[in-house]
Amino acid sequence: MRAGAGRLNRYARGVQSIRIALAQTAPRLGQLDANLARHHELIGEARAAGADLVVFPELGLTGYQLQDLAADVAMRLDDPRLARLAGATRDLSAVVSFVEESADHRLFIAAALLEDGEVRHVHRKIHLPTYGLFDERRFFAAGDMLRAVPSRLGLGVGLAVCEDFFHLSVAQLLALDGAQLLVNVSSSPGRDLAATHEVGLGTASSWWTLMRTYAQLTTSFVVFCNRVGNDESISFWGGSEVVAPNGETLFRAPLFDEGLFTVDVSPGDVRRERIAVPLLRDERPELQLRELARVVAERAGLGHDTTAESGAEPGLDVAPDDPPHEPIGFRKAR
Amino acid sequence: MSTGAAAAPLGADGQPLFELPAELAIDTGVARRVIREFIRAQLRQAGFERAVVGLSGGIDSGLVAYLVAEAIGAERLLCVLMPYRTSSPASRADAEDAVRRLGCASEVVEISAMVDGFFGLEGAPGAAGREGLEASPHRRGNFAARMRMTVLYDRSVTWGGLVVGTGNKTESLVGYTTLFGDSACAFNPIGDLYKSQVRQLAAAVGVPETIIRKAPSADLWPGQTDEADAGVSYPVLDRLLHWRIDKRRSGEELAAMGFDPALVERVERMVAGSEFKRQVPPVAKLGPRTAGVDYLYPRRRPGSARG
Repeated sequence: MRAGAGRLNRYARGVQSIRIALAQTAPRLGQLDANLARHHELIGEARAAGADLVVFPELGLTGYQLQDLAADVAMRLDDPRLARLAGATRDLSAVVSFVEESADHRLFIAAALLEDGEVRHVHRKIHLPTYGLFDERRFFAAGDMLRAVPSRLGLGVGLAVCEDFFHLSVAQLLALDGAQLLVNVSSSPGRDLAATHEVGLGTASSWWTLMRTYAQLTTSFVVFCNRVGNDESISFWGGSEVVAPNGETLFRAPLFDEGLFTVDVSPGDVRRERIAVPLLRDERPELQLRELARVVAERAGLGHDTTAESGAEPGLDVAPDDPPHEPIGFRKAR
Repeated sequence: MSTGAAAAPLGADGQPLFELPAELAIDTGVARRVIREFIRAQLRQAGFERAVVGLSGGIDSGLVAYLVAEAIGAERLLCVLMPYRTSSPASRADAEDAVRRLGCASEVVEISAMVDGFFGLEGAPGAAGREGLEASPHRRGNFAARMRMTVLYDRSVTWGGLVVGTGNKTESLVGYTTLFGDSACAFNPIGDLYKSQVRQLAAAVGVPETIIRKAPSADLWPGQTDEADAGVSYPVLDRLLHWRIDKRRSGEELAAMGFDPALVERVERMVAGSEFKRQVPPVAKLGPRTAGVDYLYPRRRPGSARG
């Protein structure tokens, strides 16, 4: 049985533990070589600390506020520098993030799972915030694929980048696709210092609530790695986390401090939680698919919304008291 | 109008040092940490290790001096005191007290000769000619602020440090600043803090009480105060701006919250009317790639640090 040893090994992991290293770094803006060197150093440190997985933040290889520098620091997936970084992951898993240039010269914010010397999987950020202090869509293309992938850790891994986790569907789709370990890498700008917040930082409270919610609803581990340091006006707040499948926060890194933090998790917690609380079993993706198809058609004005008041615009269930004049081409579906 | 008040820090006499509206209270520990890293990063990314602050004896520049000293050490900070002949002696004494407590380098540069050299003095015309003798306090105030700016930028060279901005969010939003004068700087660590929050942070970092308690003043003439000039107190103005700008409430909603509608309208005009002071001047778009329009690089990027 050729695969036997591997299988035994995976089952055996049920009673073992996985050591996760969170590389809460402060990347240097636009300095790809310096950041690459730092990644190599930290991968070495993580290995020495016995880590099975080391996670770096969003755009840890380039810095965040790149603007027109994005093209200058972009790497193709066949870039030798990426291959060398992957080469540093024998007997180890790493999640790194950089600007990826596709063959047709689109620039993506990418996160890659590197394992055993290879680039195992690349996730291209699918939700690019372009509002408030964010301007990502101006400089980057949005990814349009979401895949959970197997990993040498014995757990299915789902990668997401920052804003991806501000959209409910992402964590759910990854979990339904087989992820048991959700990894979110971020460059989250800290803001809102109102004294009423949990730790005096609105952004931190908001993110930690999300991480906990996703872990609990997907009954998966959630690993959140957020950067520190400054790009221009922005201060990144760190506070990286590992949350158990029951929503319990297993580890929380300090705010604003750079560091490599390790935490051990029991992969068996996924099975325990999913049997005790079979939320994932009870998901109804086929119902979602059907209803989403209906909603999409109605929003496009291609179907009559059976739940809407008469005279409501597509996508709205409430009709205006005084219906506005309809421009040509915007006919309501009846 | 009901104004919830947060617990303001107490002074030596057991009385609150200032009025702190509840919704403006910040976590000063987090603010100090963020600002400390911000100052260090700004200097490092620019290739500097030192900083210059124009110290007036007021709370804004006092707080910035303390924050810079906390971030890089007092030995790397130069405070420049730039009094005019009518400036308040008490302000100068407060500034000197802050310098002593911080243990930083300091220098006094009198700007009287610079300002009087232009506007004239005691009936003798200056560079501005006879008309200059009749210059309004407004013109004189702006001129003095711009003279202080030139002094700071000269000391930036001799001291080898970046000029740190000392303007707060309240004065920036209502335009109570001199364009290319007190608003000129390499970076500003307190520009996103309302006056009430500046006071809160000043108390947390140990700025002397006399500086925190003193009525804020541009010190353009003896006895002048910001609040008398503006006809509104800082706690009220800060709350109004907080709800209007940060919390995106409409003028109608502010009136419903109890703010005086006439004040709401006046502040609205001040904010809109000073938009030009908060932005880089527009360049006529002519070429294929124009700075600030479609040539967008980080201010600090590889190669931008002083060699």
